[in-house]
Amino acid sequence: MRISIYRFNPETDDQPRMQDYDIALEHSDKKLLDVLMRLKNLDDTLSFRRSCREGVCGSDAMNINGRNGLACLKSLSELKEPIVLRPLPGFPVIRDLVVDMTQFFAHYHSIRPYLINDETPPERERLQSPEERERLNGLYECILCACCSAFCPSYWWNPDKFIGPAGLLQAYRFISDTRDRATRDRLAYLDDVYRLYRCRTIMNCTEVCPKHLSPSHAIEQIRLALVRDSA
Amino acid sequence: MRLFLGQRAWMLQRVTAVVLLLFVATGAAMLVVGPPMTYDRWFALVTSPHGSVLIAVLFGALCLHGWIGLRDIVLDYVKPLWVRLPLLSLVAVLLIGIMIRVVLTLAAHMTIAG
Repeated sequence: MRISIYRFNPETDDQPRMQDYDIALEHSDKKLLDVLMRLKNLDDTLSFRRSCREGVCGSDAMNINGRNGLACLKSLSELKEPIVLRPLPGFPVIRDLVVDMTQFFAHYHSIRPYLINDETPPERERLQSPEERERLNGLYECILCACCSAFCPSYWWNPDKFIGPAGLLQAYRFISDTRDRATRDRLAYLDDVYRLYRCRTIMNCTEVCPKHLSPSHAIEQIRLALVRDSA
Repeated sequence: MRLFLGQRAWMLQRVTAVVLLLFVATGAAMLVVGPPMTYDRWFALVTSPHGSVLIAVLFGALCLHGWIGLRDIVLDYVKPLWVRLPLLSLVAVLLIGIMIRVVLTLAAHMTIAG
């Protein structure tokens, strides 16, 4: 199997380059990450992030044959050769496939990703009805791998100001939570020409999400909530 | 200014899109179903009081829709402030100019027709 990988070490390289690796598949190689791990044993200068290897930590997001995805979830059988691996597009490269996520997480923190409720908490827990809990499905599962934001042209254009699909999905997760009491403040924060309204409904985010979530639907719901709020 | 930012602008863009769609659909229907359109008939239609108001509404919607769309393109692609501000001003002046021209033309013809 031939894999072409983006290589860049800012300490030694002037320019990034693509390096080809030929590796024979073994019986245990099922996912792309399995091969990458074996490549790492052969060439320990190759850098990439990985942790849980089962699509939960979201650390091995990369551009695989032109589409963002998680190496641990991508089956080798569905990939065309040569497999071309690049870092997440639009993100500053630290080294090889490792990108700088500082700005991405700054956006995530800016939407205050936690319940805000100043009311005295009940003795045990803040209860929700099954219907209220149902509204969080499709929102809370986001693992912040950044596949969506790094595949969003609006985010490529304004990464410093547009919150991006991942941050907005998380914002809607708390807007739609009935236990949260800061909905108005959250909506007021998002009602901005850059933070929310740079979204052009391109929907790359929904198409590429490895957890099959729909940030573009969440963004639409935030816009509708803003319309209702202003009415 | 809030009318042209955030949620209001987004809403305005959609409302004007619906207005433009209605005009396009009505215009297409008139051409397809109605009697053949001649210059005299078109002139009478545009210079009638109702026609003039509708044409003004059409261009108003077009200019507002155009402003939000062009502003979005400038915000997305033009980063340096010294390019962005003149460019936005130019777009605004052009659109306001178009609107003034339309209103003046309609007013002149309405006077003649009247």
